[in-house]
Amino acid sequence: MKRAISLAAMLLILSIAALADIARPQPSPKDASKRTIDTMLMIRLDHQAKDAVLKIPKSQIRQLRAQLDEMDSSERDTAAVTTGINRTQTIVSGSFLSLALVFGGIWFARSGNNASKTGKALAIVTILACAGSAATFVLANAGPPTEARSITGKMFTPAVHMYGFGSGRIRLETSTDSESIELIVPDPKPAPGGEE
Amino acid sequence: MQEIRRAQPSLSTAQIFFVAFVAVCALLALGVGSFPLQMSIATIFLFAGIHNFMEFRYFAARMPLRWGRSRTYYSIGIGGVIVLAAAYFSLYCLSGNWLWSLDSWGALTASWNTALVLWIGLLFYLRGNQRPKSDWSWAFPAAFLFAALAWMSPLYWSLSLVYLHPFLAMWFLERQIRRTKPEWLHAYHLCLASIPVFLLLLWVTLANQPNLPEDTDLFWRITQHSGSQILPGISSRLLVATHVFLETIHYAVWILLIPLVDFRAIPWKLGEIPLFSNKSGFPKLVLAALCLSGLIVAVLWGGFAIDYTTTRDLYFAFAMAHVLAEFPFLIKML
Repeated sequence: MKRAISLAAMLLILSIAALADIARPQPSPKDASKRTIDTMLMIRLDHQAKDAVLKIPKSQIRQLRAQLDEMDSSERDTAAVTTGINRTQTIVSGSFLSLALVFGGIWFARSGNNASKTGKALAIVTILACAGSAATFVLANAGPPTEARSITGKMFTPAVHMYGFGSGRIRLETSTDSESIELIVPDPKPAPGGEE
Repeated sequence: MQEIRRAQPSLSTAQIFFVAFVAVCALLALGVGSFPLQMSIATIFLFAGIHNFMEFRYFAARMPLRWGRSRTYYSIGIGGVIVLAAAYFSLYCLSGNWLWSLDSWGALTASWNTALVLWIGLLFYLRGNQRPKSDWSWAFPAAFLFAALAWMSPLYWSLSLVYLHPFLAMWFLERQIRRTKPEWLHAYHLCLASIPVFLLLLWVTLANQPNLPEDTDLFWRITQHSGSQILPGISSRLLVATHVFLETIHYAVWILLIPLVDFRAIPWKLGEIPLFSNKSGFPKLVLAALCLSGLIVAVLWGGFAIDYTTTRDLYFAFAMAHVLAEFPFLIKML
């Protein structure tokens, strides 16, 4: 046992000696506050417009481009919070899930009368809970109503306010004749005799 | 002549324990709900180091002199702690390495998480083999299932470890009470049942509160640690308060409650440590390890006083070792 403890202690000490390095300091949140441009936004409802258009003044695009260069170093941290699943993750998690099902099935079939009813019930509940959680990821993404999925004048109606957000297709343009950002929102007139 | 006796209401020790626990939890919830950042800083400064010392002392007392038929179990348990802790610290130190892309970094973290769950699964299986008429081979499918989850959403997985770790101490205490103070078990279960109530109160109160300020590195790190970046839709005030509430209970369990129910865990009773008191033990080694642990506690206090932010970072990098060490001893108690 003495030998095992000595060996373990030596391994631990050596690993620290080999790898000890001062961790890279985390990016300061103060830096994030610098990456903003104070400007004005004008939202205009336009009966004639067919598409939503966001016009950004050229001068502000230049400022944004300059700040993009500065942000390069922090891209890694921003990306670190993305919750998407890449290919490797899908393959490995799928493999482990398959292994879990295979080993779980073998255990279930083998256990017979040996396993207690509580143990089996617990295992079934765990599997159902995990499957339920996975189903939530897949299904719990019901879209908002169409009014909140297109950028039109209807977005400003109280019926859409309850969702607290809206999204839709937009065209980005560079403008040279204005110093403020302008958002043109199509506002089609209701069809005559239509439901209001 | 008839004598009239007035019955004196007397509380049992279990009832006193329950009342004290709930009262302290109520005060704690009020404190962390009102001053989450300040409470986070204060509790880590005061208790983080000591609770590690107490854990080490407890594990030293539980470590048998001769491993006997548990040789495989302890070898894999302690070996796993050393390897996983060294790997974690290496990952922490190399996190700024420019050679590693984001994908490889994520894959390495997920691999470490996989190694952790497979190791825990193996420990459960080995423990099951030691128990009469037990088949704990369900540990493997469970471990594979958790490994799949760790790969599916590594960020949520890592965050769940942060929030679940405090409950390990409560589980330890439950097992210890079963052994040394069974008359407190019912009261303790009631104490455990009160924790979700306090958490619910905290969540209801803080759900709509604005986020905590992140204008200093320290504040930013505290909110990050609680998962504000991973759960941006939830008030960081709520997250930090929840984490500090659970972490403080965790500290209280190790520093106060476990020595209260198990006199073998009282720090100065070295005679209760088999590795120290037995003739064929290692008294010098145990004494040196305990002195070193005490010294580390003092150094931590000094470090916190000089540069709290850096010391906090380093502490949490090393602290993974104590999280890992809890598993073999906890599973052995099942």
